[in-house]
Amino acid sequence: MGQVLGYTRMLIRAYMRDWVALFFGFFFPLIFMSLFGVLNFGSFGHVSLGVADEAGNADSAQLVAAFSKIETLQVHKGSRGDELAAMDKGDRDIVLVIPSDFRIAPVQPGQTAPTMTMYQSSARAEQSAVGASIVQQFIDQLSFAVTRTAPVVTVKREEVAGRNLKYVDFLTPGIVGMTIMQLGIASVMFTFVVDRQRGVIRRIMATPISRRAYMAAHVLERLILAVLQVGVLIAVAVLLFKVQIVGSMAVLLLLTVLGSALFLCLGFATSAFVTTEQQAPAVMQLVTLPQMFLSGVFFSRDVVPSFLKPISDYLPLTFLNDALRQVATAGASLVDIRGDLVGLVLWAAVTFVLAFRFFRLET
Amino acid sequence: MTAIVSVGGLRKRYGDIEAVAGVTFDVKQGEIFALLGPNGAGKTTTVEILEGLRQADEGTATVAGVDVRKDPSGVKERIGVQLQSSTFPENFLAKEIVELFALFYKRKVDAMALLRAVGLEDRAKQKSEKLSGGQRQRLSIAVAMVNEPQVLFLDEPTTGLDPQARRNLWDLIRAIRRRGTTVFLTTHYLDEAEVLCDRVAIMDAGKIIALDSPRSLIASLLARGFSKPVAQQQANLEDVFLDLTGHELRED
Repeated sequence: MGQVLGYTRMLIRAYMRDWVALFFGFFFPLIFMSLFGVLNFGSFGHVSLGVADEAGNADSAQLVAAFSKIETLQVHKGSRGDELAAMDKGDRDIVLVIPSDFRIAPVQPGQTAPTMTMYQSSARAEQSAVGASIVQQFIDQLSFAVTRTAPVVTVKREEVAGRNLKYVDFLTPGIVGMTIMQLGIASVMFTFVVDRQRGVIRRIMATPISRRAYMAAHVLERLILAVLQVGVLIAVAVLLFKVQIVGSMAVLLLLTVLGSALFLCLGFATSAFVTTEQQAPAVMQLVTLPQMFLSGVFFSRDVVPSFLKPISDYLPLTFLNDALRQVATAGASLVDIRGDLVGLVLWAAVTFVLAFRFFRLET
Repeated sequence: MTAIVSVGGLRKRYGDIEAVAGVTFDVKQGEIFALLGPNGAGKTTTVEILEGLRQADEGTATVAGVDVRKDPSGVKERIGVQLQSSTFPENFLAKEIVELFALFYKRKVDAMALLRAVGLEDRAKQKSEKLSGGQRQRLSIAVAMVNEPQVLFLDEPTTGLDPQARRNLWDLIRAIRRRGTTVFLTTHYLDEAEVLCDRVAIMDAGKIIALDSPRSLIASLLARGFSKPVAQQQANLEDVFLDLTGHELRED
């Protein structure tokens, strides 16, 4: 144990001398956050909602009034044509058309429910995705309330929906998830493949240290570094970008450790099939790039094309990002994110078995 | 003298190639012993079996009283090694490399004293990957000594070094032997074996084809009627080179 801790300490000290690794581990995610955050790439002050009320009755007026009370939504009223034209100019994120047969009442047998049409701006995908989910959620609650098949609006959901979510609040958990993934996979792909190829591991294995102690120190080092890096990232986000972390830091810490463990296992499992330094970057991109774009790092996963949805839903980073985001932006508890936790644990278990089966310290 | 390394009928096969094809020899305690042979003769495989890094297919090997097959980690505790074409982890200072390897043996060492012994005291705070080829070889010898080994295995220690660095390393190896450590090295430089070693084994195609002191091997060749076609010179080109450039160690 003393040997493992001593080795871990020496590995961390050596890591702190490695400027390239420090750059990619600490500064690279911060650069991402600055680019997207400071330039306000996904400016998120409000979602602009255009309403075309073609019913014009008391029920529709009540619905529009209710929308106006949601802080995140800026409601504009107009005809369908005017509102869609405004969307073309980029002035509306969503346009909702209330049909002429709209009313707030249970649907009679033999009748079809009135259909509301919602147009979403693909130019402002992030806002329209968030706005659409708010509108959808609101309408679901409304129909529940009317049909009495489920409890009326819960207080908590109202708060979440009503909170003025800034883009950087949304972005930070995504960057944290991305960093955990990059760190886990890169720190295995680059160091282990290189050390294996250059005979570093072979030389160490000529000493009496056990493989178990050697692996334990390397894994422990990477878990500690992941926690440090996520800590720096969140500190910068809170201090510099005024990001609000609603949920528990302890849960975020747990997710950091669990996520790191998962991506380390994934790194070990994939680097089992990488024999040279030259192959490492390509394989690394192959594993991380799809997750960067399909797992909701920068944008909500609502913008993922539907044919990719089944893949996106089950990627390891999707579970991690969803969990981090729910905790950071909505104050979710461990119970609220149990689905994501199950996904993370399953992925960790599968990749651990693959790593154990295929990863070798020596070629 | 007692044997500190004892090898009997050792065999190791890789696919169709029998890298080690039945090797038997002893290394005596306190001697400098060399395994010579052309590339691919099976030297490195033999040494790596003795170091507990590879398993032999057949045969026995005892190093410092420990059966290599039964207790490879016991052997690792008692020997020091320098491997061919292996490097140290990056971003560690020379002194830290020594401390790191001491930790692998669960030992505490005076790293500076070990670095002083190999003439690297003033490089203690330099990253190991920034050292020159000769300095790196000396660092790897310092590292191989952290556990006060009974046998030091050096696999082609002088390959790629300039004449000054080679001579410096020979002096270091002799100094280690004077302290009672047995030195087992492989080389394909015959002049090195001739001036440095008490006994040499010549290996070819997985077999040992001769084993004796360099002097006796030369004497027996001459006794078979061998003579060189040219007259023996009193000096060679290396002597000229060293006379012109001096014996002083260069740092590249």
